[in-house]
Amino acid sequence: MVSITEKTMRVIFISCGLAIIIFLAGILYILLSNSMPGLIELGLGPFFAADRWNPGAYGEPSYSLLNMIYGTLMVTLGALIFAVPIGVAAAAYLAEIASPWEREFFKPIVEVLAGVPSVVLGFFGLVVLAPLIARAFNLNSGLTAFNGAILVGVMALPTIITLAEDAITAVPKEYRHASLALGGTRWQTIWKITIPAAFSGITASAMLGMGRAIGETMTVLMVTGNMVARPESFLDSVRTLSAGIAIDIGDVVFNSTHFHALFVAGLLLFLITFLVNLLADILIQRKPEVNK
Amino acid sequence: MMKTNGNVKIDETSVQESAEEKPDQLNPDLENEYCEVKVENLNFFYGSVQALFNVTVKVHEKGVAALIGPSGCGKSTFLRVLNRMNDLIPGTRLEGKVSIHGENIYVSNTDVVNLRKKVGMVFQHPNPFPKSIFDNVAYGPRIDGLKDKAVLSEIVETSLKGAALWDEVKDRLNEPALALSGGQQQRLCIARALAVKPRILLMDEPTSAIDPIATQRIEDLVRNLCNDYTIIIVTHNMQQAARISDYTGFFLQGEMIEWGSTSSIFTNPQDNRTEDYITGRFG
Amino acid sequence: MKTAVLKKGFLIEKKKSEWRSHELIGFWALRLTLFLVLFILGVIVFDIVSKGAEVINWEFLTQPPRLGMTEGGIFPAIVGTFYVTLITIAFAVPLGVGAAIYLNEYAVQGKFTRLVRMSVRNLAGVPSIVFGLFGMAVFVKLFNFGPSLIAAGFTLGLLTLPVTVTASEEALRTVPRAYREGSFALGATRWQVVRTVVLPRAIPGILTGTILGLARAAGETAPILATGAAFFLPHLPDSVRSQFMALPYHLFIMSTQHHAISQVRPIAYGTALVLLILVCLLNLSAVLLRKRYRNRVAKGL
Repeated sequence: MVSITEKTMRVIFISCGLAIIIFLAGILYILLSNSMPGLIELGLGPFFAADRWNPGAYGEPSYSLLNMIYGTLMVTLGALIFAVPIGVAAAAYLAEIASPWEREFFKPIVEVLAGVPSVVLGFFGLVVLAPLIARAFNLNSGLTAFNGAILVGVMALPTIITLAEDAITAVPKEYRHASLALGGTRWQTIWKITIPAAFSGITASAMLGMGRAIGETMTVLMVTGNMVARPESFLDSVRTLSAGIAIDIGDVVFNSTHFHALFVAGLLLFLITFLVNLLADILIQRKPEVNK
Repeated sequence: MMKTNGNVKIDETSVQESAEEKPDQLNPDLENEYCEVKVENLNFFYGSVQALFNVTVKVHEKGVAALIGPSGCGKSTFLRVLNRMNDLIPGTRLEGKVSIHGENIYVSNTDVVNLRKKVGMVFQHPNPFPKSIFDNVAYGPRIDGLKDKAVLSEIVETSLKGAALWDEVKDRLNEPALALSGGQQQRLCIARALAVKPRILLMDEPTSAIDPIATQRIEDLVRNLCNDYTIIIVTHNMQQAARISDYTGFFLQGEMIEWGSTSSIFTNPQDNRTEDYITGRFG
Repeated sequence: MKTAVLKKGFLIEKKKSEWRSHELIGFWALRLTLFLVLFILGVIVFDIVSKGAEVINWEFLTQPPRLGMTEGGIFPAIVGTFYVTLITIAFAVPLGVGAAIYLNEYAVQGKFTRLVRMSVRNLAGVPSIVFGLFGMAVFVKLFNFGPSLIAAGFTLGLLTLPVTVTASEEALRTVPRAYREGSFALGATRWQVVRTVVLPRAIPGILTGTILGLARAAGETAPILATGAAFFLPHLPDSVRSQFMALPYHLFIMSTQHHAISQVRPIAYGTALVLLILVCLLNLSAVLLRKRYRNRVAKGL
C-alpha cells in the first residue's frame, strides 16, 4: 500500500518537473510552427527589408520588422543608460554602506516599485510624463522613445538593484578585510575591490534588466506613440517588437500571413531574450574564486 | 596492472556471492553464525574518496558497543551504514557485507523503511520536529498507520518512561517539543526512536551538544536500555566509552584498528595506536 | 590621525579629515540614487492616489460601467480579475509546488535537474506578450477554449509558474536537514517525510511566493489581450468559458482606446488606484507573512 502511494507521488512530482521543460520547449515549438508558414511563404528577406510593417495594406502588404527592431533597441538602450548606473550605485549603497535601518526602509521600497503593474506605469507615462516631455522639448507629443526608455528603465531598476546587491554581498569578506587592513578606506575598498570582484554578477544583473526591457510590452505600448516609421532620434515616436505584437494580436485573422508574421516577431523576441538570459545565467554561475 | 585488476574482480565476485547466501541457523559455521550486527570487509566511498577501509565487526548480543576515535575517522559514517542513512547522500558507494540479525541489508530487495524501523537512530544534535511532545513520540507509530488515540497514548507513555522523561513532561504533552531543554530534547528523541520498537539503537555522539548533568542522565538511560536493546554509540569522549560500554571499537583514518571488550581495550590495548589514543597522545 | 595612501608608487600621507570628507561625499552620492528611487515611486503613487481617490466610492466599486463606459463603476473588471486569478492559482500552484518538491526532495542533482532549473529561469525571462501569443495559439485555438477565463487563466498561470517554483524551492530549502534525517531514521518513506515534516514547515514560505506570483499575474495585461479579456461586457462571466473584463485591461482601454479619452480620465485614474491597491495589498500580505515566518524560524518554532 505504502509503496504504491510512494511510487505515485514520485511520478507526480517528476511529471511536474518535466512539465516545466515541456512548457519552455512548447513555447519555442508553437512560435516556430506558427511562424514557419510565414517564413516559407515570404522567406526571411521581407521581414528585415528596409520597408514598413504594414500587413493591412491593400494589394501589397509589407511585413518588415526592421523599424520595430530599431524601436526596441532604442528603448532598451535608453533604459539601460538610465537604469544601470543608478541601479548599481543603489545596490552598492545597500550592500556596503547602508545601516540596518536604512536597508529595512529602502528594500521594501524597491520591492514595491517592482510590484507596480506595467500598465499603471504606462498610464503614468501617458498622462504625466508625456506632457512634461512635450513641453520640455517643444514637441507636439511626448509619446516618444525617450519617454519609453525612462519608464522601462524604472521597470528594470528593481531587477538590477536586487541582483546587483546579491552579487556584491556574495563577495567574500576576506577581500574587504584585506583591503581595509592595508589602510584602504571603505570608499576605495568598494570601488577597487568589491565591485570589480562582483563584476560578473553585476553584469548579469544588467543583462537580466535588459531582458525585462526588451520584452516589456504594456508600458511601451502606451507611451511611445507606436509610429512604424524609422526613428531618427530619441524624441521620435517608435514602435517596439512587443508593442507591435500587442497592437495587432487582438484582431489578426487566424492563420493569415499577418498571423504568421506576428509569430515571426514573437520568435525573434523570444530568441533575443533567451540569449540575453542565457548569457546572464552563465555570468551568474561564474562566482568569484576563493582560494582556501 | 593485470594482476591488480584480477584481484579486484575476485573480490567483487566473492562479495556478490556472500551477499546472496542465506543465513543458515543449522550450520554453526563461523561464516554464518548469528549476530545482532555483522559487518565484513566493509569499504565505503563518498564519490572517489574512501572513508572506510576493510572494516570487520561482529556484535553478538545485546549490550552497549562504543565507537571511539578522533573526529573525521569514519565512526559516524560507519554508524550510518547500519541503517542505510548514507543512502541519502548522493554519490556514496559501499563494498562488503553488512548483516543485521543475519540478513544482509545491502541487497537490492532490502526494505530500507523497515530496516530503519528496526534500527533506530539518535543524532548528535537533538532534532525534535517542530510539533508537540506527544506528536513527536507518536510520529513513528502514526506514519505506520496507527490512528487509535488510546493505543498511541499508551505507546507515548511507555516510550517516554523508557527514555526517563515521562515524569518531567507528563503534564505538558501538548506543548512544543522545542520548548524543552537540550538534554530533555535528546531524551525525547530517544523516546521517539523507542516508540517505533526498534531492536538496535544507533547513537551518534548523543551527548556532545548538551551539558554534563544532562549527559549523566543519558548515560544512565543508556545503561538501562541495553538490557532490551543493542546500542551502538559513537563518542569522542573516552571516559564515556569506558563508563557505559561493554565493547569498544577504535577507528583511525577509516580503519577499525581494534575491537574488543571495553575493559581489555582500556587496560590492555593490543595496538600501539590504540594505546596512544586512549592515553591522550593524540586526538 | 593620518592614513597612508599609495599613489604612483609613493607613499603619501593624507589627513583623516581629507579622506573622510571624500568618503562622505561619495556615500551621499550613492545614497541619493536610493532617494531617486523613492522619489520616482512617490511621484507615481502620489499622482494616482490623489487623482484616483476622488473617483473611488461605493458606487464605483460595485456598479458596472454605464453610458458607453463614460459613467458608472468598474465592478465587472474587479470580479473578472478575481476569477482569472483563481484559475491562475489552480494552474500554477500545484504544478509549481510539485516541481519544487521534485527538485528539492526527490531528484538526484544532475543533468536533468539542471535542465529543469534552467527552464524555470528561462521561462521567467520570456516576454509577457510571447505568453500571450502562446496562449492564443494553444489555449484559445488548439484546445479550442476560445477567448475565455480559462484560456487567460492558464496563460497567466504559465507566466506565474517560475515565481511559484523558485519561491517554493527556497521555502523547502529552509527546512533543516535534521528534520528530514530524524524522520527517515524513524522509518518514514520519502513521501511521508515530505508530507509530515517538510511541507508543514515550508507552507508559509510557499504561500508567500504564491501571493507574490499572483500580484504579478493580477497586474499583467499583455497575456490576456487575445486570450479572453473583453472591452466591455453587459453581464458578469457565468462560466470558465466566458470572456471577462479585467482591471489592467480596463485601465489600458480607458486610457488609450476609449472614444472620449479625456472625459473618462477620472475613471482611468480610479481603475489605476484600485489596481495599485490590490497589487500592494497582495505584496504587503506576502511581506508580512514572510516576516512572521522568519521570526518564527529564528525562534526555532
